[in-house]
Amino acid sequence: MPKVTIDGEEYAFEGQPGLLQFCLDHGIELPHFCYHSSMSVPANCRQCLVDVGAPVRDRKTGEFQLEENGEKVIRYFPKLQTSCSHVISDGQVVHTARTSEKVERAQRDTMEFLLINHPLDCPICDQAGHCPLQIQAYKYGPEGSRFEFRKVHKPKKVKLGPNVVLDAERCINCTRCVRFTDEISRSGQLTIIERGVKNYPITPPGVSFDEPYSMNVIDLCPVGALTSADFRFQARIWEMASTPSITTTNAKGSNCFLWVRDNLVMRITPRPNPDVNEFWIPDEDRLTYRWFNENRPCGPAALSKSGACSWDEAIQETAEILRNTGKETLFLASARATVEDNWMLMQLAEAVGGQVAGYIPHIEQGHGDGWLRTDDRTPNSQGCERLGLRPVDMELWGARLGAGEVKGLYVLEDDPVAAGLCSAQALENVQVILHYYNTTNQTLPSANVALPAATVAETIGTYVNEAGRAQRVVPAKVIKGVNRTLMMQMGLSRADQHGTPFDRWHNESHYVDCKPSWEIIPLIARNLDVEIAAQSPKKIMQHISASIPAFAGATYKAMGLSGVTLPPIEIEVAG
Amino acid sequence: MTKAGDWQSYKRVLLPPVKDLHHLDVYRAGGGYEALRAVLSDWKPDEVTEEVKRSGLRGRGGAGFPTGLKWSFMPPVKPNVPRYLCCNADESEPGTFKDRQLMEYNPHLMFEGILIAGYAMSLKACYLYVRGEFANWITLLQDELSKLYDAKLAGSNILGTGFSMDIIMHKGAGAYICGEETSLMESLEGKRAYPRIKPPFPAQSGIWGYPTTINNVETLACAPLIISRGGDWFAGVGANKHPGPVLYGISGHVNRPGVYEYPTGMLITDLLDIAGGIRGNKKLKALVPGGASVPVLRADMIDGVTMDVESLHEAGSMMGTAGMLFLDEDTDMVAFLRRVARFYHHESCGQCTPCREGTGWMENLITRIDDGEGNLRDLDLLLDLCDQMEGRTVCALADAAAWPVRNTIKRFRGDFERRCRPSAWAVNA
Repeated sequence: MPKVTIDGEEYAFEGQPGLLQFCLDHGIELPHFCYHSSMSVPANCRQCLVDVGAPVRDRKTGEFQLEENGEKVIRYFPKLQTSCSHVISDGQVVHTARTSEKVERAQRDTMEFLLINHPLDCPICDQAGHCPLQIQAYKYGPEGSRFEFRKVHKPKKVKLGPNVVLDAERCINCTRCVRFTDEISRSGQLTIIERGVKNYPITPPGVSFDEPYSMNVIDLCPVGALTSADFRFQARIWEMASTPSITTTNAKGSNCFLWVRDNLVMRITPRPNPDVNEFWIPDEDRLTYRWFNENRPCGPAALSKSGACSWDEAIQETAEILRNTGKETLFLASARATVEDNWMLMQLAEAVGGQVAGYIPHIEQGHGDGWLRTDDRTPNSQGCERLGLRPVDMELWGARLGAGEVKGLYVLEDDPVAAGLCSAQALENVQVILHYYNTTNQTLPSANVALPAATVAETIGTYVNEAGRAQRVVPAKVIKGVNRTLMMQMGLSRADQHGTPFDRWHNESHYVDCKPSWEIIPLIARNLDVEIAAQSPKKIMQHISASIPAFAGATYKAMGLSGVTLPPIEIEVAG
Repeated sequence: MTKAGDWQSYKRVLLPPVKDLHHLDVYRAGGGYEALRAVLSDWKPDEVTEEVKRSGLRGRGGAGFPTGLKWSFMPPVKPNVPRYLCCNADESEPGTFKDRQLMEYNPHLMFEGILIAGYAMSLKACYLYVRGEFANWITLLQDELSKLYDAKLAGSNILGTGFSMDIIMHKGAGAYICGEETSLMESLEGKRAYPRIKPPFPAQSGIWGYPTTINNVETLACAPLIISRGGDWFAGVGANKHPGPVLYGISGHVNRPGVYEYPTGMLITDLLDIAGGIRGNKKLKALVPGGASVPVLRADMIDGVTMDVESLHEAGSMMGTAGMLFLDEDTDMVAFLRRVARFYHHESCGQCTPCREGTGWMENLITRIDDGEGNLRDLDLLLDLCDQMEGRTVCALADAAAWPVRNTIKRFRGDFERRCRPSAWAVNA
């Protein structure tokens, strides 16, 4: 197998790997800005320079030429090479800044150049704290500056599109954003204008940077030049905790981080997962962050108690209603709820003798783009299908509800009125029990008992995306009266990439008084004198994966943070 | 006898003294396009390349790479894989203005050279990338090119030989960097003219990703001469290792600036005499022998130095484009360097960090010295910046910006020091 020597250590390699990626894959740090593994290599930042050489062979004999001390004679390239664009070949010798003063100097020199016209406004920059320029300047840059002139001034606060704001002075012209729109999203909405030290990226005249994936350039930007119009100046990196999660606006289940400060989700960024979303998420997924913070319920309510009540009262009331409606209760599962929640609902329905009619499909024709957006606007319809649930027959059940044939309606984390299953009037004589996320839920005024449910940011559970990949989420923020099991998961959930003492879980502000549905349902069952073992979601999933073939292998351990692909199943097309 | 041989009786061949030579009929009357006819009917493509190799022709665009060798880098012809020739007429180096003369007075020599080169490399299309500011020359070239098509000397089935080749003119949009060959290709493709990383070289992946050879106007204009008079004739003109006729673009403080055609290997002092000596009977102070980017030579460094690769290398400079800039004894070298630095700052494309940031910083420092605000330590910082830029970028613009700064300061350090305030501390203290 061919070998390459890097800083005196030998590594075997296969194929024709790029030197920079090879080093990063082997834990050898090389400073770089313009290089990104998913895009073309422009080699324009010149930060990743290394010294590359190869042993010299004697032309006649083909043997390696040897020094007097027996070591091979190495002939180095006359110039330092950019490791990003250099393809390794057998026998080459590479020196990074660790073993070559020449390389160390070159990297320091480039960093000095990068910084002379950079505003150095780190104290107010969103990127500070996880800024590649900042980090690498400390590590590889010079001390102080020899630049004694006015910096070049360029446009600041340029609104490129609805979601992205540019500060051209911070830009180091790595062209990552331009290459993203050229090569990844293919919108071609960004380009570099001007020349030399004045150049910066911007949209062509008359074009707004409004493509559905525009905000990915914010994460790509190695400095604070591209910022989110929403998140700009809202929070410092070290004040937030980032928790791995998935997005729930569609059936793709893109992996993301939820950034939380004081129990408020401040922003959502992509989490790399080569099997699902690579490095990207659509803008719509990021902009849902508000949905976790705003219009959230403050505890359960029951009509019989004329509004707000305690959890105990709400659960007793629910049990009372179910006892009365019994078999004439229509249970609606939810493609927005986790697999565990839906399974629990099925257990409750069985105990009461009612039936789970299925889940409400949320299909928006034409929304999908074959990439990270799908027509299905729910995260878990595939999970429901695998539990044996089908999209509910909207016409049939709408008619039955309208005709008063249904006495009780138990809705799990959905909104039948908004979805068009029935009108609010049709529910006037129906006993409605509703698990809901936000007070904007249009079925809420018709509910007899309203049970606030935990969202994806607060619960533990499993979602199955359209490709059959089961992915687990962990809580990113605390809810009131948190369950002990949940608490343990939280302890494990902290990614702490940038963790500091400023953000801790004991911060009591902005607690939402809600409970995960998998926790609510067993409480109701107990009041009906039915025992559904109040298991932890982990145990529920263990049970499901062992008993339902469509979930074979979907244990929490197997899913980890990047999910596991389930065996394929025959599936009816929703709608 | 100098390397240039008997240059006093030299007869011009690139720009012969023929009235209205730029007209197709005048050019043909003088035996024009006969070399092309001969090549198309009697030569094999490889033989043409071999003849050019034998002639020892080196590129006239500045780098001086052997032309025949460059042509032979083209990969074997593959069916359905287009390949291109590109004629680089984006002449914009300060102090260089010889291609312009060729395009004005003898454009058909260039066209004929293009067609011969196209035949030698078995390709069917040549892009002629002309600097946009040459608006008048573009009109002229377009007129002559359409005459060429009418006379069946370009397009399909040239001279009834079955060889077809198109010449497509492309107008630059005002960037010096587009003269860099890979950047020129990007520009031609309609993209932002950022130079490409080499390898792959143009012969492997050039315009639209296909094999491409890029040659300078004057280089291609030499091809018909080599065919009609023979490679050996060409190799016998001027300096051994850098033979042929060459256009010297002489400018600066001389009595008769202009473009002069002579063999390579001319003594610099002879060329100064030809240009009428320094004006106002002043003394020579400095010479930039090949366009603004090559290292400047002091007057005391040019004795016995001839205009060819070897001799200029020994003297500590380069042949470049043979655009010679003579500076007289009253020249302010700081102001001179300030102007040069300003040019490279203005023309840096901004792709690579060292060039983008370094060229501006250099101009700032030199401006400060020129304004009398500079410190002695600024000179060391300037030399440091040269080290930080040279050889660390995708293309050679950073080198071209650093060489004049480094060498002007080194060779005229006194001029700079006199303009500086003494430093309180050293730059690398």
